[in-house]
Amino acid sequence: MIVGRRQLAAGATALALLAGCSQTGAWRAEPPATATSRAPDQAAGGVDAARGFRSARGYRATPVPVRIDIPKIGVSSSLIRLGRAPEGTVEVPKPWEVAGWYALGPRPGEPGSAVILGHVDSKEDGPAVFFRLRELRRGDQIRVRRADGSTVRFVVQRTEQYDKQRFPTDDVYYPTLTPGLRLVTCGGEFDATWGHYRSNIIVFAAVRT
Amino acid sequence: MRSRTGLVGLVIVVLAAVAACDSNTPSRSGAPASTQAGHPAGHTATPTTVVAADASPKELRAQFEQLLGHHALLAVRLMRSVVARTPELRQAAEAALKENTGALTQLVTVAYDDAHSDRFEQLWQRTVLDLTAYAEAVDAGDAAAKQSARADLGADADAYGSWVAAASDGRVGDAPSVMRTHVEYLTRQLDAYAAGDYATAYRVERQAYEQLFTAGVALAKGSVAPKAAATLDAPPEQLRSAFAMLLGEHMELIIGAQRATFAGAPEFEAAAAQVNANSDALTKGMGAIVGPQKAAEFQSAWAEHVEGLMAYSTAVAGSDEAAKAAAQENLSGVAGRLALYLSDIVRNELPVEPLTQALAAHDTHLVQGVDAYAAKRYSQALQMERDGYQQMLGVAGALVGAIQKTVKPQLPVGGSQTGGGGTAHRRR
Repeated sequence: MIVGRRQLAAGATALALLAGCSQTGAWRAEPPATATSRAPDQAAGGVDAARGFRSARGYRATPVPVRIDIPKIGVSSSLIRLGRAPEGTVEVPKPWEVAGWYALGPRPGEPGSAVILGHVDSKEDGPAVFFRLRELRRGDQIRVRRADGSTVRFVVQRTEQYDKQRFPTDDVYYPTLTPGLRLVTCGGEFDATWGHYRSNIIVFAAVRT
Repeated sequence: MRSRTGLVGLVIVVLAAVAACDSNTPSRSGAPASTQAGHPAGHTATPTTVVAADASPKELRAQFEQLLGHHALLAVRLMRSVVARTPELRQAAEAALKENTGALTQLVTVAYDDAHSDRFEQLWQRTVLDLTAYAEAVDAGDAAAKQSARADLGADADAYGSWVAAASDGRVGDAPSVMRTHVEYLTRQLDAYAAGDYATAYRVERQAYEQLFTAGVALAKGSVAPKAAATLDAPPEQLRSAFAMLLGEHMELIIGAQRATFAGAPEFEAAAAQVNANSDALTKGMGAIVGPQKAAEFQSAWAEHVEGLMAYSTAVAGSDEAAKAAAQENLSGVAGRLALYLSDIVRNELPVEPLTQALAAHDTHLVQGVDAYAAKRYSQALQMERDGYQQMLGVAGALVGAIQKTVKPQLPVGGSQTGGGGTAHRRR
């Protein structure tokens, strides 16, 4: 990646400003304050506890998703892993009847928006795994099972249709610290010449608490 | 609604993180020692950062978040100092809260107007007084006084809600519930603290901070036109806010744990548990951006940073000069390693050297802050806390800015071709 010189300089300057003060600012000595009943007390016993302090370690990645169930629209599908297509879009599942998880993004249940794609239909077989996705409404339930057998539950917040030329990339893929789920399929007008739908249907869901 | 009237000539104070270090500047008013907002002799009371009159909605949001988050923690410090019967700490916390209220009022003036800011200041000051009254009632074991203070705080919340509704032309409607929740957290943490239930006290303290920090966006939105307010919901802005909240919280929780080292083991362990909870949240957040492997690496580097800081405060509390020196030397190395890691994950958008310096400055705030606390120089300890908190949020902004530049080009582009038959179209 080529780093923009202006950006780098700006970042460096900002950090230098932020760093600068304490490098040079020695605090003057002050007269001691009067001791009080619950003032700092070296003998209170916290020191031994502090000596035993260990910061959080042993980070364990959230298990990968292996299955999705959406009772409202009769979806129960295993999940395949998806990467990026050469043109920069997310790969789509090869089998029409199986959904896929974008494996370069967050895993369901961890901070960030996990993305699961599925076809709405195929020319050969008609309706596919996400054929009824657009029927989902606020409050509908989604379950994602993970490789360790755990299940994370989501609740639909909204379902939207977007022209593919104005796909809301940030709303779907941009990092966030809030766990969420995005389900993507096709919708809108079908362009027979092009052989594709003009729009995408996107379901926005949040972890059910 | 925001108005520029009367704002010409407003004194703009920016980059307080830089100005904060001017420790050699004499007292500006020439006031006697310890009378200037509780600041000790020889140390200038550094104004809290206030945005410019033409601040963007994002800048307003960041400032509201910073000042409201800090308010929550100062209120915790004040209320606990009352039941801990530490008058010097109470005096310093009162002065710090007064300063925070002044900064918030200036910000409200910029965001709204003078008339609204006067009313805001009255309401905010009254809430602080009622929180203090509640703490005094808890300390005295006076159930009737507690009840009375609670009633007053409820009235404060309603009055605040009316103020927000008027100031924002009705575009911020949930202010009373936000303030009631804020008051509930503050009173609950104090009840737990007074009862020796430190696990609850420190857990709720963290909730109080997060709740009020995140309330900042509503005040910013209410001061601008709806179209401008909508920009604050954009994912990059949400990411900045979330990371700033966690990194500011890191700073404050470390301070809490440092000070708890001087208390008993139960209080330290409760404070330390929240430090670890924050580190967990930061690690998971990093995982969302850089993936699980890099997140694990971040956690290791971060753990060294946190443990290094705690080793220093342990040495201070144990009056172990050799251990203090060793801890400081270790911190220097840790800052370099952490900077190297962070610079790598943002693909050198932030160079290692200034990042190292910024992390070292963060360490210095915490080192000097615990030194001041141990010496019972509470005004200085709270000053370092505020300056360090502001500096940490500045680092957070720079770091997230670099993350955003790195992340954006890596996102998938365009819609997905997830249909091929026209069946879905025909069924309609």
